[in-house]
Amino acid sequence: MTFAREFEAPPEVWGVGRVVVGHEIVPWPVSEADVVDETDIVEQHYRALGLGDDDLVLVVALLSQAIHAVPLEAGAGRVGALYSSADATRFDAFRTASLIRQLEAKVVIGVDAEIVTGLDDLARDLADVFGSVAAVVAADEVAYARLSDAALPTGRYLRLGPTSAVAVPGDDALTYDASRWQVEEEDGALVLTNLVERYTPCDRFPTGIRGGVPEPGRILLSP
Amino acid sequence: MTLDPTRRHFSPEIEAMPRAEIDALREEKLLGDLVPWSYERSGLIRETWDAAGVKPSDIQSMDDYHEKAPFIDKDAIRSYRDRHGDPYGGLLCLDPADPSMKGIFSAIFSTSGTTGDPTPAPYAGRGPSMLVREFWELGARPGDHFLHCLFTFRGPGIHDTIRGIGATPVFVDHQPGDVEQLFRFSRELRPTGWYTLSGPLIMMIEEAASRLGVDLDDVCSSYKGVIFAGEPLGPRARQRVEEWGLELFIQTSLGDVGAATECQEHDGCHMWEDCAYIECLDPEGTKPVAASERGELVSTTLVDKIAPLLRYRSDDLVRVSREECRCGRTHGRVWPLGRKGDELVVDGVSVLPGDVWGAVESIDETNGLFQLIRPAREVDTLRLRVGYSSEGRGGLPALRGRVEDAVEEAVGVRPEIDLVERDILLRQGPPHKIPRVTKA
Repeated sequence: MTFAREFEAPPEVWGVGRVVVGHEIVPWPVSEADVVDETDIVEQHYRALGLGDDDLVLVVALLSQAIHAVPLEAGAGRVGALYSSADATRFDAFRTASLIRQLEAKVVIGVDAEIVTGLDDLARDLADVFGSVAAVVAADEVAYARLSDAALPTGRYLRLGPTSAVAVPGDDALTYDASRWQVEEEDGALVLTNLVERYTPCDRFPTGIRGGVPEPGRILLSP
Repeated sequence: MTLDPTRRHFSPEIEAMPRAEIDALREEKLLGDLVPWSYERSGLIRETWDAAGVKPSDIQSMDDYHEKAPFIDKDAIRSYRDRHGDPYGGLLCLDPADPSMKGIFSAIFSTSGTTGDPTPAPYAGRGPSMLVREFWELGARPGDHFLHCLFTFRGPGIHDTIRGIGATPVFVDHQPGDVEQLFRFSRELRPTGWYTLSGPLIMMIEEAASRLGVDLDDVCSSYKGVIFAGEPLGPRARQRVEEWGLELFIQTSLGDVGAATECQEHDGCHMWEDCAYIECLDPEGTKPVAASERGELVSTTLVDKIAPLLRYRSDDLVRVSREECRCGRTHGRVWPLGRKGDELVVDGVSVLPGDVWGAVESIDETNGLFQLIRPAREVDTLRLRVGYSSEGRGGLPALRGRVEDAVEEAVGVRPEIDLVERDILLRQGPPHKIPRVTKA
């Protein structure tokens, strides 16, 4: 007998997350199908980053970012890898450093200014902390600049509305899934439209991100 | 299958299982499965049992288990980790590289790291945990929204569990910077359950509400129950939260094999005995203490086959009762009392953090934030580091004097108080707690 043999049918809404547009927080309900769909996209990102069988990815995120973070977690299993998690906070930077060391992470995704500042607080050298990692994927420009300056193989991770885009180290352009999302430039900023069904639809949704689309599936951020 | 929202318990066939069936289930799981499984696969268990000259075949009954099974503790795990370079401390029973494990062994979470390096905790699969029983007990039901206010490093089990009762998680960070969204989502989505609240979060909520002019009665009016976890709850903090209209359900750790949570009777935290076997032993020995007497919690998992703990000495001082609860649940209850390693003996007087908690908390300027300074178990002087958010009337000397008076009245020993700005203490712990005992 297990702890609970009977379950309610899962709720229609998998969870209420959020999308951040500039300084505005937009509540964003998603369905289970949305999460699975985004996990498919993350699987592509991970393969591009070289994550594979028996590797480990460390996902650095906040719980409030769950609609983005859970696909990052579930995507690991799609490529045969394990994942571990650390909070993207200044305080929890020690966990990022500790888990990289203990678990020999191959990819770390989601490193942001909070983590970099937290490691500074601990007087930790970025090259030491991330030196063993094959790809460090930064979630904002502050972290990207600091990690690049430390000569680390630095990629970019972008929360693009409710979906995501990733640039592998050495590539300036971020890749998104053009079969599921249409990204267009409007007055120098990116707007987003869903091409497959989503619980919360986007119709030229303003992401608040400055950039352009040199070709479908690729984004270049504006400085 | 649809759950009847009026049913009293989520899993009545388990939660109200007759005691004899609980005992039989425990014996079957432990002796028939967990003991041989762990000995065969866990390096630490095998090493420990071999050193004690015990084999699984020697354990034919629960009496044998009590008599012969050796203990492990956190030091043993750390020692194995350091000696073997094994981040899992010899507990991992599965090979992540084994193709048959793909999709089963999925993640590695970690402990809070309050007192050192976070310990990796392997995790298998996904799906609801036993907390479905607690979330139901709070009063949350299918179709409700449920506030999930935690961190990422404990894994996906909680939001899967919220969905396990048919509710929808609403994600909020357990961080000062997200309290405004906590207010907003509470008002807009009217969640009925909340996991979790903590002492530091209570402080953050009070401050944000005061700064923003938010009516906490309104914010909290939809909640039927809130699980409080992380560290003990002082009487003052409880009173404040209850003034907001929240019903608190205290949760405590169950020796790293699970958690125990209060029911609506609020008379002890229910430990699920189909998932864990809990002993309450003499803290300095190996024999059980009498029912409801203070002892050390020693835990054995009955469900974790990834990294099982057998006879794990938790260092937690508790009372345990297996009397049936008024709520109708038949599983035992545990009352957390403190940590064995936290005890200070000052001039022959025993002092635990819980002994001074209410006294410090009674001084508003401290927000109940303090640390006992414990360079050794036995000391000549009781020293506390106490946080303050404002100096109050009379400045710091007067504040220090009031804290000294309150602590002396509580424990009978005049303390030395080191006052520090509150944020200095808050930065020493994860969002939901701070280390309450420190060496210096």
